[in-house]
Amino acid sequence: MFDIIQFMLWPLAACLLLPPILVYLGLHIIRREIIFVDLALAQVAALGTCVAILLEQHAGWHGYAWSLGFTLVGAALFTLTRTKHSEVPQEALIGIVYVVAAAFGILLLNRSAEGSEELKRTLVGDVLLVNQTSVLRTFVIYVGIGAIHFLLRRKFIRLSFHPHEAAAEGMNVRLWDFIFYCLFGVVVTSFVQIGGVLLTFSYLIVPAVCATFLAKRLVVRLILGWIVATASSVFALYLSYRLDLPTGAAVVCVLGAALLLVTIGARLRGRNATLPSP
Amino acid sequence: MFVAFAGAVAMQAKLNIVATTSDLGAVAREVGGDEVKVTVLARPTEDPHFVDAKPSFLVQMSRADLLIEGGAELESAWLGPLVDGSRNPKIQKGAPGHFAANVDVRILEVPSVLDRSQGDIHAGGNPHYLTDPANAQIVARNLAAKFCALDPRACEKFKRNAAAFNARLETKLKEWEQALAPFKGEHVVAYHNSWPYFAKKFGLEIDIFLEPKPGIPPSPAHLAGVIEVMKKEKVRAIFCEPFLNHKTAEKVAEETGATVLEVSQFPGAFKGVKADYISLMDYIVSSLAKALGKQ
Repeated sequence: MFDIIQFMLWPLAACLLLPPILVYLGLHIIRREIIFVDLALAQVAALGTCVAILLEQHAGWHGYAWSLGFTLVGAALFTLTRTKHSEVPQEALIGIVYVVAAAFGILLLNRSAEGSEELKRTLVGDVLLVNQTSVLRTFVIYVGIGAIHFLLRRKFIRLSFHPHEAAAEGMNVRLWDFIFYCLFGVVVTSFVQIGGVLLTFSYLIVPAVCATFLAKRLVVRLILGWIVATASSVFALYLSYRLDLPTGAAVVCVLGAALLLVTIGARLRGRNATLPSP
Repeated sequence: MFVAFAGAVAMQAKLNIVATTSDLGAVAREVGGDEVKVTVLARPTEDPHFVDAKPSFLVQMSRADLLIEGGAELESAWLGPLVDGSRNPKIQKGAPGHFAANVDVRILEVPSVLDRSQGDIHAGGNPHYLTDPANAQIVARNLAAKFCALDPRACEKFKRNAAAFNARLETKLKEWEQALAPFKGEHVVAYHNSWPYFAKKFGLEIDIFLEPKPGIPPSPAHLAGVIEVMKKEKVRAIFCEPFLNHKTAEKVAEETGATVLEVSQFPGAFKGVKADYISLMDYIVSSLAKALGKQ
């Protein structure tokens, strides 16, 4: 028992301290019905890392800066593509950004020696070996962003959950969208550095989807989402240790299993679980 | 009674050894015999440059009395965080329980200029030195000395084991040199530049690579050039490790009539071949001799 805490302490800390904000943002994302924006942003962040590797500026905060820079450009892109065009759904554009970012990363790293390894690492992450500094630094960033979201919660919730009313009230939707995506981008970039694209996406979406199946009020969904994320993380890390599995992938799979359990549970209860009506 | 029991337990305590790759592990087993328990981190079929960390590594390393690594930066991309995460003061760099096996080994291809444009160059030179059996003898001797320092009680055993292994190796070396003598000076193609020590020992030229630069995947243009050279020099064998892209090697072999030889410096990589150093080298030498002997 002691053994597992000793080795999995910082991975556990990472998976307990950092996902809560991802869950919260996930609820926004689901409401906005642009699920793939986080996959796309995570991939764009990874592309930034690829560029940094190619330019040999990967070390220390330089790599992070490149990643973040790319993410902010991505954020701007997504702000501009939240169009009113009913012909071209924003999701299509987001999907394209994801695929092109991924392919471009492959192109760039084809010239670099550990290219394919680095690509795999951006996908799968390095949770097992995460160190104290990364976890605490990221936690501090997240607390900051969480504070901003809390202080400006009325604006952001209106923006995501009632965009038409927001526009009607004269709120500068474009501007606030951009701020939302920027903050979102920082959160995603930071977590991709630790957990990789797959894990970031999973923490963002899966607990939020589970919560959406189980409850209607935002606050209740938030709490349920946190419970799902925490329970899944603990169980996955335990499994990873016992069965000697790659940690990041284990968490993604357990989150998937959690969703399965929740959907079965929701079915059995006969609840007609739907996404909130527009 | 308790003292006797405790004494008995102490006398049977094996040295816990963790080796990064299975060639180091194999030599450690030869020298340590049943006085040591050897765990190897990288699977023999895995790319030794990049090994995924697993929880069991941390556990093993936390309990290790000795960590054996290549010392030539083969593991530089993944070993550091594992050593830190093990929280084992015995195996930290510089501690007596951290052994770099390249001590006394003459390292080839030390670069005069270190620059990323040359691909994934190892700053300390080519790290694949155990493909030369003479280097295995050096490592065995030094491991015996290291084991002696950690467990003086079994020192005589270690020295005997190392001497026996080296003697067997000496005999086998003559056999191998004889088997490859007819092909001295011939060229062999390798996917990755991991065979210079083997080449030097047995008088072969393993200096044409499918990778344009170390670690960079083969590009069509580069492969076309390789095929041309192979046809000109009548190269008959291509060395390809299990974790590398065999399709590429097969394609080149098709165009040139050469044979793709699955090789590895890591004992345990091949199912039908016993997982010890001598058996592996035997297998490589005989497959190579067979391929080169074909008309």
